[in-house]
Amino acid sequence: MEITRRHLLGGMAKGAATVFAAGSVSSVALAESSKPEEKPQASQAAIAMLYDATQCIGCQSCVAACAKANSLTPDTKLDRLHQAPHDLNDTAKSVVKLYKPADGSPYSYVKQQCMHCVDPACVAACLFKALKKDAVTGIVTWNGSLCVGCRYCEIVCPYHIPKFQWHGINPKIVKCEFCKERLAHGSDPACTSVCPTHAVIFGKRTSLLEEAKLRIAKNPGKYYQERVFGEREGGGTQVFYLTRAPFEKLGLPKLGNESIPGKYLKWQKRMYSYLLFPAALYAGIVFITRKNWNRHEKHLKEEEKATGLRPQL
Amino acid sequence: MSKAWERSVPVFDIPILTRPFVALCTLGIVACGLVLYREIVGLGPASGMNDAYAWGIWKTFNIMALTGLGSGGFSIGIATWLFGRRRLHSVMRTAVISSFLVYASGLMLLGIDVGRPWNFLWILAPWRWNVHSPMLEVGFCMPLYTAVPLFLEAIPPVLEWVHSRWPELESTVEMAEGILKRIYPWVLGLAFLLPAMHQSSLGALMLLAGNQVHPLWQTPCLPLLYVWAASFMGFAFVSVVLMICHLIWGRPLDVDVLREMSRITAWIIATWLAFRFADLALRGRLPLAVEISAPSALFWMETLSLMAAASMLAVASRKHNVRLAFQGSLLAALGGILYRFDPTTLAFQPRAGAFYFPTAIELLIDLGFLSLAIASFSLLAKALPILPASNRLWHVMESARWNGAILHPRQADYKQYAAAD
Repeated sequence: MEITRRHLLGGMAKGAATVFAAGSVSSVALAESSKPEEKPQASQAAIAMLYDATQCIGCQSCVAACAKANSLTPDTKLDRLHQAPHDLNDTAKSVVKLYKPADGSPYSYVKQQCMHCVDPACVAACLFKALKKDAVTGIVTWNGSLCVGCRYCEIVCPYHIPKFQWHGINPKIVKCEFCKERLAHGSDPACTSVCPTHAVIFGKRTSLLEEAKLRIAKNPGKYYQERVFGEREGGGTQVFYLTRAPFEKLGLPKLGNESIPGKYLKWQKRMYSYLLFPAALYAGIVFITRKNWNRHEKHLKEEEKATGLRPQL
Repeated sequence: MSKAWERSVPVFDIPILTRPFVALCTLGIVACGLVLYREIVGLGPASGMNDAYAWGIWKTFNIMALTGLGSGGFSIGIATWLFGRRRLHSVMRTAVISSFLVYASGLMLLGIDVGRPWNFLWILAPWRWNVHSPMLEVGFCMPLYTAVPLFLEAIPPVLEWVHSRWPELESTVEMAEGILKRIYPWVLGLAFLLPAMHQSSLGALMLLAGNQVHPLWQTPCLPLLYVWAASFMGFAFVSVVLMICHLIWGRPLDVDVLREMSRITAWIIATWLAFRFADLALRGRLPLAVEISAPSALFWMETLSLMAAASMLAVASRKHNVRLAFQGSLLAALGGILYRFDPTTLAFQPRAGAFYFPTAIELLIDLGFLSLAIASFSLLAKALPILPASNRLWHVMESARWNGAILHPRQADYKQYAAAD
């Protein structure tokens, strides 16, 4: 990591805020000595999904299959009749939405579920690693015996995926876990195995990325920006999107190529690496407070002599 | 002159059980009942929170914003013990007790807010920690700060109370004081380090929200701006608390200490504002502040109130104007609250159409816990030597006690003495 002037200034300012000259020196020294952080990469065995919106007919088979595989009963809010959830929530881990612009430009369906980011913000945020990314498959799972229910994952997820059970005394975080039980039994994820048009398919991340690029090459001008969403966005995801409509309109935000933890936790990680900086700070503070404390004790004694009153600490 | 003020004296001439005190406690009891309801039905029916705004006022207001006010023990402590402003020592007890209560009420609300509190016990198992999570840092550091340094700093007044109540325990009290004295510098070290860590991590919490936080607020410097804001908010809040208490309970107040606090607060705010503008300018975000939009209006509300606060405090300290010092401190506290609240709610835009407004239950629980904190402060200020006073007042209290009139000596008596200080 190259140290730019702004980083350096930022580091010095951080030191200054904690008000010790010693602090700023050591924070800069720490920044210089810290090794370049490695960007998290998807493993070779990482699994993925490819969703091609141009092939999706919006039949919601995948939504129904998802609910069945996860033993969920989706709400009927949309038409008060069918179990067709209007959005991801604690009873729907995957939904299909329709984007239909008023100006007559191409409409598009979009399937939403966990993106299983290569470097997920929710995993970086989770305090006891209740949300965990599998090192091999890359599946992001939730462990109820570690989760405190602070909902920080909901705040940080750029795709708004983790959902909280707002009712009851034992609330859970609900999100797509890539049908890990089905995978363990050798079957494909529910949604990919029922799609009648193969709009969503399952495979290795590397091969699906190749497939997506092949489709773009074969159909010039068909796909938005001739680009696969998920190859690099936010450090990469394990769900790829090919669409005709702009990604931003389909709930796929502009994120840049750096992952959210990589982009925003850089300084936090450096400041707390091996607790060196806090320890140095503590030593500095105690050094000065001890001096001032001794002066204070002397002063207390003088005061006691002068007033005859019991000294107050 | 100032030496005469280096004593803390209980508010000895006013009964503890007053009508406002009972009202505050009633609000607290109502809140406890509502907490029971929340625990049974879950967060959904009890609060206005939803999947887009997953955090409500208990976190965004009480933890993110109000613990800034509870940073008096941190920032005034640093001025007192690191920068050798010994005169401020006389307000340290007020700072520590008010900080403790703000933190304690915030942490209780946090406990109510989380969905699966039983799993918080994993905080005792380091191998479970995600050490890079700002949430872990806050979750570990904040309770630790409240339970160890803040608690220990609040012990001396209690020991003095024990000593005056049961003189036969003198040797025990002195032993305890001896131990405290020996570890005090180390405790103070923690009392400055831990808030510096968790107050900045509160800012780091919002970093991971990425561009959901409006660019006028989202910056890599958010942790620094948060802890920096906490330091002026702590000063401002303790000034306000002191002035309100001394006004309500009719006690004289050392104007020199107030002046010094006003002056320091003005400086911290000025440097904070300069840093904030420099940061916005360097990142090229200033144009966002001049366009007409709700976020820019919020931005100017914060900025103008803090600018006004800084200038009022600067003038107040130069012209010995107590009224202006009060108004300036209040404005500084409010501006700080707004700045620290905005990135979590008003300037947090998870997606179009998302909406959050606290329910009556949420508000009443919040109000109830704050009421309990205020009631506890008034109780403690009346029972223990916390609020600063002159040696003269101490003697008045002692003679009042000898006359067996600890609760109701005539106020005029000591006011006349106090005037002589």
